[in-house]
Amino acid sequence: MAQSALAWQGMQTPRRGKAYSSWAGAARTGEMIGFSPPRRAAIQRATLPFLVLLSATMVMLGKADQVMFESLRVSVTDTALPALDVLSRPLAALGHLTDRARDFVTVYQDNRRLAEDNERLLNWQQAALKLASENARLRELLKLTPEPVTTFITARVIANSGGAYVRSLMVHAGSDNGVERGQAAVTGEGLVGRVSEVGSRAARVLLVTDLNSRVPVIVEGPQQRALLTGDNSGRPCLRYLDAGAGIKIGDRVVTSGQGGVFPPGLPVGVVASLDGEAPRVEPYVELSRVEYLRIVDYGLADGLPKPVPIASRSGRRAEPFAGAQLGRR
Amino acid sequence: MALRSAGTPAPQRVDNPVARLLPIATTLLATVISIQPAHIPGYAALTPAFTLMAVYHWTIYRPDLLPPLAIFLIGVTQDLLAGVPPGVTALVLLLARAIVLRQRRQFVNRLFPFLWTGFTMLTGGVMLFLWTLHCLIDGVLIDFRETVFRAVLTISMFPIASFLLGRTQRTLMGAG
Repeated sequence: MAQSALAWQGMQTPRRGKAYSSWAGAARTGEMIGFSPPRRAAIQRATLPFLVLLSATMVMLGKADQVMFESLRVSVTDTALPALDVLSRPLAALGHLTDRARDFVTVYQDNRRLAEDNERLLNWQQAALKLASENARLRELLKLTPEPVTTFITARVIANSGGAYVRSLMVHAGSDNGVERGQAAVTGEGLVGRVSEVGSRAARVLLVTDLNSRVPVIVEGPQQRALLTGDNSGRPCLRYLDAGAGIKIGDRVVTSGQGGVFPPGLPVGVVASLDGEAPRVEPYVELSRVEYLRIVDYGLADGLPKPVPIASRSGRRAEPFAGAQLGRR
Repeated sequence: MALRSAGTPAPQRVDNPVARLLPIATTLLATVISIQPAHIPGYAALTPAFTLMAVYHWTIYRPDLLPPLAIFLIGVTQDLLAGVPPGVTALVLLLARAIVLRQRRQFVNRLFPFLWTGFTMLTGGVMLFLWTLHCLIDGVLIDFRETVFRAVLTISMFPIASFLLGRTQRTLMGAG
């Protein structure tokens, strides 16, 4: 291949000396720093195999030491942020336009549904107010330590992974805004994932569906603890369930709080299928349509183990429950 | 000389710096488009390999203006931005360039169906390679169906990408 390129470039040289000097690439670089033609040709010939080898080495190094490229990744992300932010807006606008058209068509049904919902929710509001005051009274009686105050940052999604092998989102908020590694990413419907990398102005959220995502959960109903394990499909699996756990389709799945990464009780999804080797969960959040999400600080981010450099790493994988949501990224 | 005798046309001289940067710029743009959130259910996993389309096009028409170093840097940038293990896209794009450059004379000045057939074969190989690589990296057997759908989507989007790249090339570089 490099030979063909050479032949092709060589063919140009005698006929068009000027064009030769204006060409981009390794040849030009070589000429600029004054290599002789045979040397330049050798460099040219070696460039492609060298870069192929370099890429392969990077893949292997990245596999062996997963922390190695994190700072590079974070700085590249921060640098590319303005471009990604600007370019993501037209697509988002297009999405709004189609949403608006759909809303226009369904306005009558939506109105009826919302009126019914409103009536139902007003009843719930009364129940919630009653429970809240009862809770407050009981907490006072028990002298219960107050739960840490949760704060959140709303961030816009500016990029995704664009491929079949990784499920993550990049959001326009970083350490400058108070985002920290390990914080939960949620929408009004439920859990989206957790912050896996933080730059100064951007952060990456590893989705619950990613191959490397592990979330300790409880299946409400049978009150079964399990590990929600992503496999890059739209429906993550429930692993480490007791045999004969009595799980049914439609059971709610919420975070268990085990491992100390997420607080208990965050809605995740519902059991959607019991076929195959493990039950599958349909997340409440439609992950491909998320445009804004909240990065929530429950005061628990310290619970996430810090990435361990390869030199001091003893085992290859962490214990599933102790290192909740550990992953490559 | 071998290439000339096989009918490869001499590439037109390009003095305009904007036009000379066109292959790199469009490949970089393809990278950015690849990671744009489209808010379409299921799209993220099936996003066509736009960068591969750009590399294929420019390797056939102007390999001089899209050198291996640029492909490497663009590939690594895409990996870092997408959260993919660094080096994967760079490796795939460089291998694609190597293969296409070897077969380049089969495609230059041929009808579009030849070009498309070549791209179909390349995409098939690339997707299979990517799938194998990710299975090895993650240590699990990844569902192959999404890879197949992604390949089909990539192949079916190629005519549009080829048309747009060709038009831009002609506008900025003259005939080509």
